[in-house]
Amino acid sequence: MKKSILIVLSVLLVNIGWAQMRVTGTVTSSDDGSPVPYATILVKGVRGAGANTDLEGKYSLSNVPNDAILVISYIGYRTQEIPVNGRSVIDIVLSPDALNLDEVMVVAYGTSTKGTFTGAASVVKSDAIKDVPSLSFENAMNGKVAGMQITTVSGQAGSVSSIRVRGIGSMNASSDPLYVIDGVPVVSGNVTQMGIYTSNNVMSTINPADIESITVLKDAAASSLYGSRAANGVIVITTKRGKLGKTSVNFKASVGITPDFATDNFETATPEQQVEMYYENFWNAGVVYEGKTNEVASTNALAQLNKRFGKHGYVFTAPDHTVNSLTIGGDRAGKYFDWDAVLFRTAVYQSYDLSVSGATDNSNYYTSLSYTKDLGRSVMNEFDRITGRINLTQKVGKFVEFNTNVNIARSGKEGFNDTRATGNNYFLQSRNLLWPLYWPTDYLTGAPWTARYGSYAYNPVYYNEEWENWSNTLRLSVNESLTIKLLPELTFKTIFSYDNAQTKDHLYFSALHFSGSGVGGSVSEMTSSNVKTVSSSTLNYNKTFSKKHTVGALVGWEAESNNFDFQRASGTNLPTSALHTVSTAGKLDAAAYYSGNNMLSLLSRLEYNYDNKYYISGSYRRDGSSKLGPEARWGNFWSVAASWRIDKEEFMKSVDIISSMRLRGSYGVNGTLPTNNYGWRSLTTYTNKYMEQPGGGVSSIADPTLSWENNYTSNIALEFGLLKQRITGSVEYFNRDSKDLLQDVPISTVTGFFSTLKNVGEINNRGIEIELSGDIIKNDNLTWSAGLTASHVKSKVTKLYGGQDIIWYDPTGGDSRAKFIYREGESTLALYGREWAGVERETGKNLWYLNNDKTPSTTVNGRPATYNYQEASEKIIGDIHPKLFGGFNTNVEWKGLTLGLNFTYKLGGYTYDAAGRDINDDGYYWERIMSKDAYDNRWTPENKDAKYPMRIAIDLEDVNQRSTRHMHKADYLRLKTITLGYNIPKNIVKMAKISSARVYFNGSNLWTLAAYKVYDPEVNEYGTRGWELPIGKTYTFGVEFTF
Amino acid sequence: MKTIKLISIALGIVLLSSCEGFLDVKPSNSAAAETSITNVNDAKVAINGLLRKMTSSDYYGRNFLMYGDAKGGDFAIRSQGRGLDALYTFNHSASSNSYSGFWSQIYHNILQANNLIKNIEKIEADGKGSVSLSEYKGQALTLRALMYFDLVRLYGKPYNMDKTSLGVPLVLEPLDATAQPTRATVEAVYTQILADLTAAEPILSKAVGTVAIKGYVNYYANKAIQARVYLTMDRFADALAAAEAVITSNKYTLYANDKWVGSWSLQFGTESILEFAVYPSEADLLTGSLGYYLLRQGKVTGAMGWFMASDYYLARMNQDATDVRKGIMDYDESSTTRFGACLKYAGVDLKGDKGTASAVNVKVIRLSEVYLIAAEAALRQPTPDMTKASNYLNAIRKRAPALLPSTAATVTLDMIIDEKSKELFAEGIRYFDMIRLNRDIEFNDEFISPAVQIPHRTKIINRTFYKTILPISQSEMDANPAIASQQNPGY
Repeated sequence: MKKSILIVLSVLLVNIGWAQMRVTGTVTSSDDGSPVPYATILVKGVRGAGANTDLEGKYSLSNVPNDAILVISYIGYRTQEIPVNGRSVIDIVLSPDALNLDEVMVVAYGTSTKGTFTGAASVVKSDAIKDVPSLSFENAMNGKVAGMQITTVSGQAGSVSSIRVRGIGSMNASSDPLYVIDGVPVVSGNVTQMGIYTSNNVMSTINPADIESITVLKDAAASSLYGSRAANGVIVITTKRGKLGKTSVNFKASVGITPDFATDNFETATPEQQVEMYYENFWNAGVVYEGKTNEVASTNALAQLNKRFGKHGYVFTAPDHTVNSLTIGGDRAGKYFDWDAVLFRTAVYQSYDLSVSGATDNSNYYTSLSYTKDLGRSVMNEFDRITGRINLTQKVGKFVEFNTNVNIARSGKEGFNDTRATGNNYFLQSRNLLWPLYWPTDYLTGAPWTARYGSYAYNPVYYNEEWENWSNTLRLSVNESLTIKLLPELTFKTIFSYDNAQTKDHLYFSALHFSGSGVGGSVSEMTSSNVKTVSSSTLNYNKTFSKKHTVGALVGWEAESNNFDFQRASGTNLPTSALHTVSTAGKLDAAAYYSGNNMLSLLSRLEYNYDNKYYISGSYRRDGSSKLGPEARWGNFWSVAASWRIDKEEFMKSVDIISSMRLRGSYGVNGTLPTNNYGWRSLTTYTNKYMEQPGGGVSSIADPTLSWENNYTSNIALEFGLLKQRITGSVEYFNRDSKDLLQDVPISTVTGFFSTLKNVGEINNRGIEIELSGDIIKNDNLTWSAGLTASHVKSKVTKLYGGQDIIWYDPTGGDSRAKFIYREGESTLALYGREWAGVERETGKNLWYLNNDKTPSTTVNGRPATYNYQEASEKIIGDIHPKLFGGFNTNVEWKGLTLGLNFTYKLGGYTYDAAGRDINDDGYYWERIMSKDAYDNRWTPENKDAKYPMRIAIDLEDVNQRSTRHMHKADYLRLKTITLGYNIPKNIVKMAKISSARVYFNGSNLWTLAAYKVYDPEVNEYGTRGWELPIGKTYTFGVEFTF
Repeated sequence: MKTIKLISIALGIVLLSSCEGFLDVKPSNSAAAETSITNVNDAKVAINGLLRKMTSSDYYGRNFLMYGDAKGGDFAIRSQGRGLDALYTFNHSASSNSYSGFWSQIYHNILQANNLIKNIEKIEADGKGSVSLSEYKGQALTLRALMYFDLVRLYGKPYNMDKTSLGVPLVLEPLDATAQPTRATVEAVYTQILADLTAAEPILSKAVGTVAIKGYVNYYANKAIQARVYLTMDRFADALAAAEAVITSNKYTLYANDKWVGSWSLQFGTESILEFAVYPSEADLLTGSLGYYLLRQGKVTGAMGWFMASDYYLARMNQDATDVRKGIMDYDESSTTRFGACLKYAGVDLKGDKGTASAVNVKVIRLSEVYLIAAEAALRQPTPDMTKASNYLNAIRKRAPALLPSTAATVTLDMIIDEKSKELFAEGIRYFDMIRLNRDIEFNDEFISPAVQIPHRTKIINRTFYKTILPISQSEMDANPAIASQQNPGY
């Protein structure tokens, strides 16, 4: 108290004593507390008064009037005005400004600023993703970019995410965006050859902590410079660089635990309820279907139960021959095995990042080392990764600059089957196959139970030891560039990049395992190597004439080569279960081949702006690809765009409320190449060995004039800033016509083939994207900000080959789990199937709407209906696409404490439940476990207003039909992440010689509100939910130090 | 100076590689289809490829043989949902369980044969033909005939029922992608089958037993197929002549009773006239193989007990408790005394013919069948030869030593057909015989446990039931609208 009085007194004294004073202080970043060098400090209203901070962020100003206002600014940070109020030491914390119009953003082949870029692009900064415990950056971006949908098929550690920018642009070729890291396209997607066993996301080899910013290029103006691969958007990733100033050492450690799934997922009924349903199933078959007496039916039902579970120590009786007197006796009565306890665990995620960075006038460096280990929820699933990165820039003389980025990563993943496989998908087993009445040991002998259980499940306690799989990836990315300033306004840049992702897969089954028993044990080693080599050179010219005319021009060329090399060695008939190597096997088998594609391109861009008010730009790229035949391989891609800074017009000067306003629009063409390297060639393949001799056959009918898909995108946007940029936002409308889509056109199989690839289909995607953010409260102590993204995309098929519908199935899991139709004028994700009319009240039978002219057997709600699903016709039953999706976030900063909440949401549309047929069956899969949902809602004489029919063991196939029965509302709201951080005050950390320290907590998926509660509403890109491991609730604790 | 050097190096990387060369990237494991058959060695590779495709799971590798038995009354199922049970329940429609794999796989194979024949003819036209080259052509022609014979029986009405009805599209040249062929009549298809077989006959090798010819098509395989085709056409004299051409050549011999069971553990036995090889890591279907399909559930890991013998078949076999062919049967899941599981494709020791229960050769035509064809043809030809019929039958019937041999006086068609059932169980013959002979087929539905509703057919059917032939699949009709109006009646 005394101290503060002294300070007040001294300030007063100073005020009285000197009208002009000297002010010193340090400028730091709110990001990590690091000093901000070269920040500009100006004294408001005083010409020529000002200074820059030095390398340590320190500044010193003399002759400052004591009532002056300091204006502190630095690119990428929010400009602050601070009254001196007679203070002589003023430390300033700058917070980054994502919405600054002068903010530099990385775009195609260069940089631009938010206020001048004529294309549609969104930027996500490292801040937004840094605390999320994520192996790969995609997941952390959820809900942050309007128009971008991110889905993850599986909750397994290390699995692949799918990104869709502005809807679905293709049927046959890829709908995935192009990934560009530090100026060059890179290998993306799944790199393992393990098929159903696991997926391995190559993007996991990029440490999210090394990422400085991610720009999503959305319209043609932004992406057309990437030509024939840009139709689905471009994700431009820029890695970190050192900041001018002294060396900064940053260490970050975090530990996350996932004790549970994020939501309920097909929760099972209790053991007693399971037994009851099983009995009921057979009792109903006997009494209702076969007309037997209660006694006979009950005897049969009990026989089934006793046959199945008798050997596990249970005896079933029902003295009055009905379910009412059903009791479970036997040696193990009352005891059940908890399979969840052996199949799942609390997942543990740990991550350690160390980075050293810094810069001088001539050199700039960023190096990092990280280690991450993620033990997944399933006992079979783990992932670990080591990454190292060096980004180095060195100036040689005045005009030449060398840049080297090297990233080395090694990751290992062990996973399990995520498909609808009865033998080794643990999630499916836990929810559908492993009765709590099954035990891993024989109750008579205590020996491990090795036979297949009645439900086809295998004892995982025993079989987990009898197989193994892993997928290791070594990724080496080297990116060398040389920049020469030929003239002050003319720069030459050449980049050479080598990106190699090499994956080694290992799959072993012992001779005791059901997958290896037929061959005496098997082991396979597979190596696949993806090498992408890119060389590009550009000349960039930029000049302002007569102070008002600014011209920019870019010309360049690029060559890219992609090679895929595959080798497999496998062995069967293994000598001992102790050795899991191919070389010891009795019988060997091998395969090896390589494939690839090359591309050559010319590119150019011209930009002009008048007085920073009117901007126009155009780009042109010519691509030639080996994926297409000689007549069709060269294509032209281009865009034109313009923008208008309305706020710079005279008439806007009087409108105070609007601080910035810009209108921009663009139109252009870009493309998508076929997925297949050789799709235009008719081939003979030699995969048909016969009696150990080579055998071959014609394997395709091809169209040599096959071409890329074309994408015509127009975009119009209004960007605005209100109340001195306190509220900023944009509203954007786009229309994307994808034409000449590659379609596997079905042909008469009498030709010998099912289909041939042709450029025929057309899809239209259009929509509105809104991004809004602002500061609700902002003063020296407290900042409360909020942001919102919302997107509405209408995605429909506009033209098909001969107008003919195409039926297709969700490829996920390989079991055709949801049926879709491409039909002209309909959604690109139109569910197709029969219309289920529910259950007949008196009989408990399934009812189906006919939807055709056949004679109905009954009516439901006045509509013709039938009991026999085969009578009913299929039709479009729903649309997966949501009406609205996006995210919103809110962030509060108060005295070093930050609290951030990030929500994602989806409104409208449907999800399709591909597991419903298994866990909510009518009597087809009678040997399986049923869900609590099935128990609570099935028809019984006591529950006639039931949702689901009577269970009856006569192999009813109604449940297996793809129908509205399995379609559910997709709406949800999820607290994707919550982050609480605290910057430990400087005076405390200084004592430990640390320049800043921060502790934080992050919670992921902690809260979910869903329209349908039986399973996790965050589904895959086809809107379906199957037997993939669901995602969990993760609680992460972290610390971060900067030295 | 240094800079200029660096720039020129960077530029050079790309400029060195000429544009079109750089953009011509060829696959490492395939060749251009147009130029892949130019000599006798290429022809051999193509024949290998075709034979391998014959053993696809959709064809001789599994489904075709299962089709010929699951529908014929000699097979039963214990439970629905294990796999291929729609064959047994006749749950077929154009859009579900159409088993269009038969259609698409066989036409894919026919394309390979057509392509090979066309290319050989091209080489021959250039004056570069040779004996071995035309032998490959003979094999391709014979296989094409076999494929059309199978197709026309899957999709067309029996020849002796209505030969003017629709058979299958006749395609003798590689088609382009826009082709929309329509169905030819059953008679036209049979005419082509005979044309191919007779064209191939003189150019095929008569060598037997050399390693080079085993697993391939020779003259006798051609003759044996002719015998089958003629029998199906009720041309008994021709059938007898063809069968006897094989029998009297003495190049093949029947298994002695004590060798019969063991023959299922041998590849290319003395009875095998045409055998498609299935090697491990070639067409090996592992737990989905024929061998596994017929094993008792749980006999080995992965055996689901898909199909087993019906009560009717077991009753037939029980006519003689000492029938040597019982040696290949194992008890099934219903009881340890019901010997309904067949080990023909797994071997009695589960080691097949090469040490595994799954990579087992498919015996397409055995000498036993040729004897029984000869017996039936002799019996049914315009001037029956009962002695011959009886002799040919007895050569096989003696495998049930306790049964009295037939005589010229006692031999009947039923005896021959019963013998065929016993001898050729699970070899894909029974159903086609029942259809050809217009007999009733009864299904052992009571064996299914727990009971199952089978709404797709009655317990007893005959060839007037529309589902005795398969539908043209919906996808074929969608892609080939011209054929849509030619759907089999009833579907």
